Amino acid sequence: MNKFEYGIAKNIEGAFDFLKEPDSKIKAGGIDVLDLMKEGLEAPKRLVNIRSVPDLRFINKGENGELRIGATTTLAEIESSKTIKAAYPALAQAAATIATPQIRNVATIGGNLCQRPRCWYFRSEDFHCLRNGGDTCFAEDGENRFHAILGNEDDCVVVHPSGTAVALMALGARLVIAKNKEKRELALADFWVTPEDDVTKENILQHGELITEIILPKPRQNESSFYFKQQEKQSFDWPIADVAVSLKLKGKQCEDARIVLGSAAPIPWRVKAAEQVLQGKPISIKLAKQAADAAMKDAKPLSENAYKVAVFKAVIYRTICWAAGVDPFAT
Amino acid sequence: MAHSKDVKKNGPISKGVSRRGFLKGLGATSLGVAAASKSELLAKLEHAPSPNGTLLGKNAVALTLNINGKIHQVKVEPRITLAEVLRDNLGLTGTKTGCERGACGACTVIMEGATINACMTLAVDAIGQKIETIEGLESDGKLSKLQESFIENDGLQCGFCTPGIIMSSKNLLDTNPKPQLEEVKKAVSGHICRCGTYPKVFESILAAGK
Amino acid sequence: MPREVTLKVGVGKNLKERIVEIPDNAPRPWDGSDDLKYVGKRVPRVDGRDKTSGRAKFTFDIQLPGMLHAKFLRSKYPAAVIRKIDTSKAIKYPGVKAILSVQDKLPLIVRFAGQEILAVAAETAHQAAEALKLIEVTYDVRKFVVDKDLAKEKNAPTVFNTQVEEKLTEGDLPGEHSEVTQKGNVRGPNISPKDATPEKIDAALASSFAVVEATYRTQVQTHSAMETHGVVVDWTAEDKLKCWASTQAVFAVRDELAGSFKLPKSNVRIITKHMGGGFGAKFGVGIYGVMAAKLAREAKAPVRLMLDRKEEHLCVGNRPDSVQSLKIGADNDGKLTGIKLISYGTAGTGTGAGTSGPAKNIYEYDHFYSEESDVFTNAGPGAAFRAPGHPQGAFALEQAIDELAYKLKIDPLEFRKINTPNNEIRQAQLKIAAEKSGWARRNPNPGADKGPIKRGIGIANSVWYYFYGRNFQVSTQVNNDGTVKVTNGVQDLGTGITTVIVTIAAEELGLKPSDIQVSIGDSEYGYGPASGGSVTTGGLSPAVRDSAYAAKMKMFEIAAPMLETTADKLAAADGKIFIKENPDKSLSWKQVAKKIPGDNFIAIGERKEDYHKLDIGTIHGVQIIEVAVDTETGVVKAERVYAVHDCGRPMDLLTTESQINGGIIQGISYALFEDRILDRNTGIMVNSNMEQYKIAGALDTPEIESVVLNVHYGQSSTGAIGIGEPATVATAGAVGNAIFHATGVRVRELPMTPDKVLIALEAMKGASS
Ligand SMILES: Cc1cc2nc3c(=O)[nH]c(=O)nc-3n(C[C@H](O)[C@H](O)[C@H](O)COP(=O)(O)OP(=O)(O)OC[C@H]3O[C@@H](n4cnc5c(N)ncnc54)[C@H](O)[C@@H]3O)c2cc1C
Repeated sequence: MNKFEYGIAKNIEGAFDFLKEPDSKIKAGGIDVLDLMKEGLEAPKRLVNIRSVPDLRFINKGENGELRIGATTTLAEIESSKTIKAAYPALAQAAATIATPQIRNVATIGGNLCQRPRCWYFRSEDFHCLRNGGDTCFAEDGENRFHAILGNEDDCVVVHPSGTAVALMALGARLVIAKNKEKRELALADFWVTPEDDVTKENILQHGELITEIILPKPRQNESSFYFKQQEKQSFDWPIADVAVSLKLKGKQCEDARIVLGSAAPIPWRVKAAEQVLQGKPISIKLAKQAADAAMKDAKPLSENAYKVAVFKAVIYRTICWAAGVDPFAT
Repeated sequence: MAHSKDVKKNGPISKGVSRRGFLKGLGATSLGVAAASKSELLAKLEHAPSPNGTLLGKNAVALTLNINGKIHQVKVEPRITLAEVLRDNLGLTGTKTGCERGACGACTVIMEGATINACMTLAVDAIGQKIETIEGLESDGKLSKLQESFIENDGLQCGFCTPGIIMSSKNLLDTNPKPQLEEVKKAVSGHICRCGTYPKVFESILAAGK
Repeated sequence: MPREVTLKVGVGKNLKERIVEIPDNAPRPWDGSDDLKYVGKRVPRVDGRDKTSGRAKFTFDIQLPGMLHAKFLRSKYPAAVIRKIDTSKAIKYPGVKAILSVQDKLPLIVRFAGQEILAVAAETAHQAAEALKLIEVTYDVRKFVVDKDLAKEKNAPTVFNTQVEEKLTEGDLPGEHSEVTQKGNVRGPNISPKDATPEKIDAALASSFAVVEATYRTQVQTHSAMETHGVVVDWTAEDKLKCWASTQAVFAVRDELAGSFKLPKSNVRIITKHMGGGFGAKFGVGIYGVMAAKLAREAKAPVRLMLDRKEEHLCVGNRPDSVQSLKIGADNDGKLTGIKLISYGTAGTGTGAGTSGPAKNIYEYDHFYSEESDVFTNAGPGAAFRAPGHPQGAFALEQAIDELAYKLKIDPLEFRKINTPNNEIRQAQLKIAAEKSGWARRNPNPGADKGPIKRGIGIANSVWYYFYGRNFQVSTQVNNDGTVKVTNGVQDLGTGITTVIVTIAAEELGLKPSDIQVSIGDSEYGYGPASGGSVTTGGLSPAVRDSAYAAKMKMFEIAAPMLETTADKLAAADGKIFIKENPDKSLSWKQVAKKIPGDNFIAIGERKEDYHKLDIGTIHGVQIIEVAVDTETGVVKAERVYAVHDCGRPMDLLTTESQINGGIIQGISYALFEDRILDRNTGIMVNSNMEQYKIAGALDTPEIESVVLNVHYGQSSTGAIGIGEPATVATAGAVGNAIFHATGVRVRELPMTPDKVLIALEAMKGASS
């Protein structure tokens, strides 16, 4: 790790003050930032600690029944929040299955959304890949068993890493982004940047901008959600497929669905074609499988990852079933 | 708790640093940072604090850390991790590092009642936080019941991952004194034991929880 | 004068008498009639206190005043010639004290990405790392090959232009050394039996009633011990070297350092008090050890050189991969007619990819033929890894055996019995395993479960061998206050030898384990075994017992006049020395010790030849494993394992069980997760960490029930045999067979990750539709 100055913000203004240094970087839990710095991939002159800002760490009910989560709330706090477990189970499930207990105690939801991809070429000092400002994607015809099967036509084939992002997208979350005195709200769905738009970035944040809150809309009546992460091994592992489903149900009848895939594409990937399959129909295993097929219709696996299409199909139909209270394994 | 006495006895901590900060820590209900002690300690840092925060230079700064109830002063750069300070500055080599990236759990310590990877934690971020390491589990030369249980049930082989695993186990039993097997497995799921001692680790924790 | 003793030997409770000749001054070997107080019971690890309190100092933890930190610069390219290295900026960097190249003269030929180029010693590890960034290396990059199949091709870039000498360590099988030819990147084949040709086996298989034939592939696995390789070196005088080493062979490290620096052995001291795992990769001093010593001499300060996690994956050993084409046949009553194995694999720039052990040594058959080759690639060298060659070999063989059993419609467990008729131990183990696992209740038809998640149960046999080494020197010192200290240079890798030493001494001296002090891990103590080939317990324990026995005899001599009798009438138990015929006439151990002339005495025990050869020279094991296969995601979970193993007479059941658990869990990790992945286009390892190199954790651990079958041979005073390696041999094969039983599909490639499981399932669907 390079030497750096360390700004310990007491409040949000302090964070913005410290961020005036152009070569500075926000540090929340630091799990991602320190990892990149230890690998020598980033070497900011200054780190700005926002974990020290008490005003960014909360889980509060808003005036209109929405839930507001401060950006430095830890994954452990989210995983164990009774409110979140009851009203937004997909988010609690996502938080609970990320990394290890030790990391969840430190990692924040804001940092989790903004973490950089886990592509092994991107994360290694040995490769200078496109996303690191180089001119090659090593994964495209390299070791790509864990890479993208959707949205991978442009040069970079990373998958989006954040588990909470997948759940939050399905739950229709919005972000509050602040810079100095300005504040704006943005749908999480509009936060992401595809490789086509800018291969060196994953989101639209500009230097000096801060996510202060994540807003979850008041759950609609009879809304239920579920998140499932399929891992190869059970003790901390990155997903080979993760899926969040949120359904508005009337009995078993699906009135509205949101299905979002993680680890599938460079950004959290909403599959509208699959949602449409469910629209207005009673959820059954069969219907869920049709939706899963629709979700994978456009999949374009790389040389080593065709199996992910099958895994996604399974995880999608099961997660739909679980969200609807249907046993996906019933015979 | 025994720790409070030590803090008083050893502490260069002056008035205003509430003992509450050390003893109470982060309550389950409040998500606020244990601000009192921390800001006080930050205020002691060499660099003039602004009302909005403190900016440390890249060179070594003097830090005050509360480890196993004892107050330690070290002078390190902000980039130095808690694991480095424990091992290199304080000689507390019970805390190991196995991967330096938060993926093996060997460096696990408890900070304010929660397990963390000391290799992924900056030492400056530990200011004013109550840190517990493996060395703090003994009292008066007597091992804790949990440590005895690890010995009795052979919850270790080479022993390199053991201190970290014991810290996760302690934290589990602190919050859930009679855990079920599944809870035990989950609590130590952030550790790699290459000798493959997990079954006896589970037995050790379950037995200590009885 | 040798004397004859009649011992009860045999398997489990099935004992018979055997007359064994032993030296006059040796104790009667423990046999099936001995019910011992501590040996074979559950004695807690004596170093547990140090290890659970954080007090245990591993090499990793050694900190000396003025100690420098060293780091390597390693090649970025898998094949290159280095003609120029510019260290001028680095040497001026703050804190840097010495920079040394691994080779005195250039050019340096690079054969794998990660190969050492030079090392820097600086005041802090950060400074050393920063200085490395300032070093400019001019690489003349060459063509490389990391894929063993491409490496075999005619026009492949050659890794070596010269004949490669096989380097063996104590972790490799003794006698494994093979005189074979090398052509291009292929070294071999090594043919067994020597001078055999394939005609005979082909004919035998052609006329067999049933034959199965398939190709199996296994991956490269890295040892990934939690404590990395490394040393702390201190020149205590100009010609005196003290070195803490994370090693499996204290004495070998001493010899290598003495050799490198032309020092007398007595001027080099190696210390390994606690050691964070080795699994076969930590025998020699390594380039890191020599470089650390050179840097320390150059900088005139102690040097710490511990590798980091990435280096650990890249350059200090791995289990070679393999491609095994196996053809086996049986006649219509299920008897194996022949086994033919053609196998090759890569140990990178090293050798040792052979896999034939299980095929040769588990079953009884009429004909055998094997060809094994090493293929050189531009990858880090392999090293001995827990039962070298055997998990690979058993993965293939045990699936083939299973397949043949199904083909013959014979129960797979029964089939294994039929083909080991003369092995009493295996017969006993198969029986126990069947009972424990409820094998009879298993549905004989594979793939019978409804629904996408299918459960299955599979079995596999393992084999290992009995090695023990010679001439180890154990001393037992008894002081006149009654305290006892047992000393030997051996290192404890976490296997529990320290506890075994204490257990045996306590048993022999009639004291409690807590009465015995023990000191190990130091080349200034008596010669001890290198911990490879599972020799440590089998090799050292008789010397421990013989030394304690000699000490006891001395105590008897002192006690005899005190009790007005002769030494041969005395016995020791419960802290007392007493007359056998009249136990009331006794003295406490301490009372007798008080009369030791002077301050203390030391009694030596030496490991000699075994008293006789074992009837069955192999170590066995059976594992039955239950898995759940998710046929839609391809994810496999190992849920339950029943393991039956033998290790002669177990010395400490607690640590023996831990070794078995460890072998199984490592085996599951090998079967399902671990894979060293080299980028095909650059030759660089992409998952050189602990996150993407996936190692089984707590939630991947099955329930394990293990049985240690006592086998009494009377071959040595303790009858002990090692268990470190055997327990990991069967696991991957049993998982493969369980997957077949669950799904009806064979996965013939490791690790059995979702991609491979799904492909295999898909292939079956394709075939059946
Ligand atoms: C072994 C291991 C396994 C893991 N497995 C998973 C997994 O399965 N799923 C998963 O999702 N993650 C996983 N992770 C990643 C981990 O969850 C993330 O690194 C972590 O959540 C990041 O949060 P943080 O608070 O530490 O972020 P930081 O490292 O502090 O910050 C991350 C990035 O976000 C920026 N940032 C942080 N907060 C804000 C803010 N409020 N506004 C604007 N920018 C901000 C920072 O500048 C930085 O660029 C794993 C990590 C490890 C080491």
